[in-house]
Amino acid sequence: MFEREDETVERVIQHLRRPVAIDPGLDARVMREIAQASPQRRRVNPLWPLLAAAAVLAAVLVVRPWNWNAANTSDTLQFVLVAPQAASVALVGDFNDWDPARSPMQTAHGVWATVVRLAPGRYRYAFLVNGVEWRADPSAPAAKDDEFGTPSSVVTVGGRGT
Amino acid sequence: MMLAALFLVTQVAVQDPRLERLDPDTRAAVVAVVDSAHGVGLPVEPIIQRALEGVTKGAAGARIVAAVRRLTVDLGTARTALGTSASEAELEAGVAALRAGATPDVLANLRDVRRPPLTVALSVLADLVASGVPADSAAAAVLVLAPKARDADLVEFRRAVERDIALGAPPAAATSVRVSVAEAYGVNSTPNSNPATRSRRPRP
Repeated sequence: MFEREDETVERVIQHLRRPVAIDPGLDARVMREIAQASPQRRRVNPLWPLLAAAAVLAAVLVVRPWNWNAANTSDTLQFVLVAPQAASVALVGDFNDWDPARSPMQTAHGVWATVVRLAPGRYRYAFLVNGVEWRADPSAPAAKDDEFGTPSSVVTVGGRGT
Repeated sequence: MMLAALFLVTQVAVQDPRLERLDPDTRAAVVAVVDSAHGVGLPVEPIIQRALEGVTKGAAGARIVAAVRRLTVDLGTARTALGTSASEAELEAGVAALRAGATPDVLANLRDVRRPPLTVALSVLADLVASGVPADSAAAAVLVLAPKARDADLVEFRRAVERDIALGAPPAAATSVRVSVAEAYGVNSTPNSNPATRSRRPRP
């Protein structure tokens, strides 16, 4: 049983060791193909790095668009005035061209509030109550240089560490 | 060439639709001031905003023109003190500090001891004076704290002084004590700063 298996194995080995007839031009053809293919594989489109950089930039902008203003961070501020008797209150200031129509305030039980997003800077503002009465913000510093005879307040938005 | 540039500069202001809220005479005078400011490199937006504030508040044209002229002069003074690299926000805050009583030398010293932006430091100085602190005390306090304090520290310092004043402390003494506390415990330390008494303006 074992001898017969050995004979079989020996025959297989001898079969495999038999010289195989190979086309004498095969080596030349293979080397020619390699020589032609290699430069194409190694060539890098010069636009690819630029395209990759553009893709990365686009991804950054899509994911974190606020990075444009990283050194100039805006701040969202809520302005509040308690005026239970008022029929309307508008926030007007340097940030909305002093236009009462731009920042009307919403009320809940006489507490008027609105939210404004401001870039770093110092802004003068005031509340216009019922379209005729000017009021300063009681919780903010007063604008000392009031040249128009009505009270104003100031708010400062910092760009560093605030 | 210069005439063309001058014409272009003039058109910038003339074509600003916001100024159409002014009556024609006042608008012409304000446009002249805006053009003059633009010509010497001063920011024009604060000037336009001051004119708009005046017209919204119903001020007389002469008063509006006087206000924008005065503001232009003060912006120039602030720029001289803070340097040509000062931003529009810094110049506006500088004007507020000057009008509060700070001298141009104080502004220049602040520029020397603190890296920009100086907007908050200058505003805190002006706001302290508005709270009753003598101008020289406010200027001295800000100059002492400015080299190390963050903007948030300066704002918290101002609030602490205002709280002390509201509780009855003399403004100059309140400022002096708060400066001593900041120097002793560091500018980032804010003893007695109860979060409940901080600004009611929440941050998102």
